[in-house]
Amino acid sequence: MTGAILFHELTARQRIAALADAGSFTELLPPPERLTSPYLAQLGIPVSFDDGLVIGHARIGGKKIYLAAQVGQFVGGAVGEIHGAKLTGLFKAAARDKVPCVLVIESGGVRLHEGSSGEIAIAETMRAIFECRALKVPTIAVIATDIGAFGGIGILSTCCDFRIMTEHGRLGISGPIVIEKWMGKKAYDSANRALVWKTSGGKTKYLLGDADALVHDTADAVRDGISKFLGKSSAVSLTSVKSRQKELEKRLKKFGATSDPNAVWKSMGVRDIEAASLASGPEFAALAKRGK
Amino acid sequence: MEKFTKSFPSKPLGAKTAKPWALAGVVGSGNLEVLVERGGKPSDAMECHVETSIPGYKASWLAALADFAHHYPAGGTKVTINDQGAPPVLVNLRLRQAYDHLTKGDK
Repeated sequence: MTGAILFHELTARQRIAALADAGSFTELLPPPERLTSPYLAQLGIPVSFDDGLVIGHARIGGKKIYLAAQVGQFVGGAVGEIHGAKLTGLFKAAARDKVPCVLVIESGGVRLHEGSSGEIAIAETMRAIFECRALKVPTIAVIATDIGAFGGIGILSTCCDFRIMTEHGRLGISGPIVIEKWMGKKAYDSANRALVWKTSGGKTKYLLGDADALVHDTADAVRDGISKFLGKSSAVSLTSVKSRQKELEKRLKKFGATSDPNAVWKSMGVRDIEAASLASGPEFAALAKRGK
Repeated sequence: MEKFTKSFPSKPLGAKTAKPWALAGVVGSGNLEVLVERGGKPSDAMECHVETSIPGYKASWLAALADFAHHYPAGGTKVTINDQGAPPVLVNLRLRQAYDHLTKGDK
């Protein structure tokens, strides 16, 4: 169905169809249920039948999973009350049924029109994710578009066991424009695509260990990436949290004063910056030794 | 926002469709989503519900929907649209995509 179309060019529903085994996806709360945002309607903003999130269950390589994809084109994939409730419910169902949960992310975070509901929903979803992790139920986030994972959804993605990224994907808390507004254009130029991708893009996130896999921008590569993590989980314990904190302190010490993202790549073992910039997915990974 | 409901005469839809409902498009700038479902009434009309963020273009909407109902056997379908400023040509394309998915499936 997708042919040569790149994963980041697909819509949320196309992504789900391309990832799941043929005909295996069953949507929960589908569009005919018309669960739309009451807040957007009050503000005179168009609503969407799925409120920007498609959820359901499916199979990947024969294994049952819960699967969700955010619709980035609808208010930036942002999380409102309905969208958030669907997200929370899906991870709770994953914990209840001990079935892995995969979230294809495309979101700038909380939807400001319904901010409090969105914030609460993200916090509740994080709790559900940790419920899954306590039960060793794999939780996997896929970040493959330039809308990426920012704000509350950026944080939420890092709560999952594993993150799969493509070079198009971006991960962060404050988006580039927000950083520029606060720090000034001299400190961070959000129009400088090379700078933006080398600070928040998939390649850098993979080098730093924030992404667990860097894959090609195709549905097949993303699906293979997901398959590799389906039987695994990463335990949460006081020891693991403390050692992660130490790693982050080291990273801050090492790179805190760096203004050139190439210096970060170099110190992570990338010898030829130009070749690495042009390489993609596993070829990039082969050019660098990864620090985690 | 502008909201309206209207039925357009159309030949009845076939007894069998690939799915009970189909969706095409996304609510984004200059785009729209079209949900087509079986079970609209009566069986010789296409029942339409439109919500659009751009008021003042009802005549164009009615013309685009009437044209579709005239060219496709869509009687007995219920069409619901969430629009964020799509041009008429895109409205027609999404209607056809949703109708195709309903009658023939996603492939």
